[in-house]
Amino acid sequence: MTANFSSALWAETLKLRRSKVPLFTAIGFSMAPLFGGLFMIILKDPEAARSMGLISAKAQLAAGTAEWATLFNMLAQATAVGGAIVFGIFTAWLFGREFSDRTAKELLALPTPREAIIGAKFIVMAIWTLLLTVWCYVLGLVIGTLVDIPGWSSELLRSATVDILGAGALTIILLPFVAFFASAGKGELPPFGWLILTVVLAQVAAITGWGDWFPWAIPALFSGAVGPRSEFMGVHSYIIIIFTSLMGIAITFYWWRTVDQTR
Amino acid sequence: MSNAIETNQLTKRFGDILAVDAIDLRVGTGEIYGFLGLNGAGKTTTIRALLGMIRPSAGNVKVLGQALGPDGRGPWARVGHLVESPSAYPELSVRENLEISRRLYAKQDTRLVDKVIEQLALGSYADRKAGTLSSGNLQRLGLARALLHEPELLILDEPANGLDPAGVVEIRELLRTLAYEKGVTIFMSSHILTEVDRLATRIGIIHKGKLIEELDTHKLEQLRARHLEVQVRNLEAAQICLQSAGFKYTMKDETIILTDPHSISRPDYIAHILVNAGTAPTRLAVEQQDLEEHFLQLTSGTSLRAPLSRDEGEQSNLTPRKEGAL
Repeated sequence: MTANFSSALWAETLKLRRSKVPLFTAIGFSMAPLFGGLFMIILKDPEAARSMGLISAKAQLAAGTAEWATLFNMLAQATAVGGAIVFGIFTAWLFGREFSDRTAKELLALPTPREAIIGAKFIVMAIWTLLLTVWCYVLGLVIGTLVDIPGWSSELLRSATVDILGAGALTIILLPFVAFFASAGKGELPPFGWLILTVVLAQVAAITGWGDWFPWAIPALFSGAVGPRSEFMGVHSYIIIIFTSLMGIAITFYWWRTVDQTR
Repeated sequence: MSNAIETNQLTKRFGDILAVDAIDLRVGTGEIYGFLGLNGAGKTTTIRALLGMIRPSAGNVKVLGQALGPDGRGPWARVGHLVESPSAYPELSVRENLEISRRLYAKQDTRLVDKVIEQLALGSYADRKAGTLSSGNLQRLGLARALLHEPELLILDEPANGLDPAGVVEIRELLRTLAYEKGVTIFMSSHILTEVDRLATRIGIIHKGKLIEELDTHKLEQLRARHLEVQVRNLEAAQICLQSAGFKYTMKDETIILTDPHSISRPDYIAHILVNAGTAPTRLAVEQQDLEEHFLQLTSGTSLRAPLSRDEGEQSNLTPRKEGAL
């Protein structure tokens, strides 16, 4: 089984390396720290930004002040909300491509069990999206340093690291349902629909005050998008998100093991 | 002879659609079994069931003596397959696609990829991305993947699809060599009758989900047999002439049928002795009975040509294909 799993992992890694999707997702996810840096430049000196044409004369700046706390806050929220979309697109491709390329049938009647192949896909999904999160965080640090914003402290760095990487981890934990919809929907489109639905419903749940009970709203609450997370979420939120993740993993494995594969 | 494939009352429903209806298949080890059917007859559904890709609604499947599990478990290390149109990861090269298969088939021998690339004449495309291949070369890649791990049983869905005429002959010879020299069992579906006819040792015909007929070697030989048909105005004189010249014949209505090799190879000699006997032939033709006609009759209940006789039992189904006529 270990040999089978390592073979499946090797295959998934090769497919990832040869595809342009990882590059596109990395570029897409770089937008968060890049735009964060741009905002810091603007907030540092709005008049200079206006004279350079970076912002319109009519622009109302309400993003806060140019300091590390603001940049970190932006990165954490971008990781939770942008991550749901970018990571979701990556996961939809990772599982859905087997149907759009019509290669799913080549993964079935093999001595390598389907569980090993799907397990390898989940591992690749987790590692790549985690790398994207770390990339966003590191790029944010580099850009913040280059822009030379004030307010740095080691205490702030510690809490920001937890905020950004934690928001990323919670977003990643929720991806198995995207994998399920890419599998059961046999392509990339159904999971895109699912992504849009969860983003919209997360907004509704957060606005109505039920965000801590709705799994797809929890990463944004964790990131501090609506305020200190201790006020807006509790232990039950972590239990719900982990339970949802396990459900997603289980249903995806069950689908690949038992459902008729006709494509 | 043990069975490489065995199905018992294999049935598959998709909602209200009965795709495969209680099929009992037995494919012996070393056989080349042709699985014929029109589009939508149930060939691919049967093949997917044989490969554990779909679960039977009823009945069961055994492959190489092992019953397939509900989760698709089976003796897949010993089975090669090509299902429907071939597919590959487009951004990976031919070699990389095959390397993935080698690893997923848990084969340690790294030379297998080069060997199968050579076997399928893919050498000049080995480092090309699969997405740039022609449909014929993509078919070769699909076949390479099926053969890569040197399986005992090949389950191939339309193996000649997309190949040019030279490719069709090449793959046919390759499959024949695998079957006759290495004892590989081949189960191949097709709707191209000539392909199946030239290769198969046994043929099953599926229609509307049912296995409506199986043709064994003897019946296939009958279908492939050539004969000479003679029509004359004076039938009695012609029969006496042929008897006295030592030819054996049978009658179908008003037509004399000669099956011995000498008469088939020398129709001019038959014409000569009939003319000398004063009963010149009005028609003299070497004919071959035809799987295509047989298949069409079975699947549509109609014939392209009128049968030769209504009272000749099975022979009445088999109407001739003209090879040459005087």
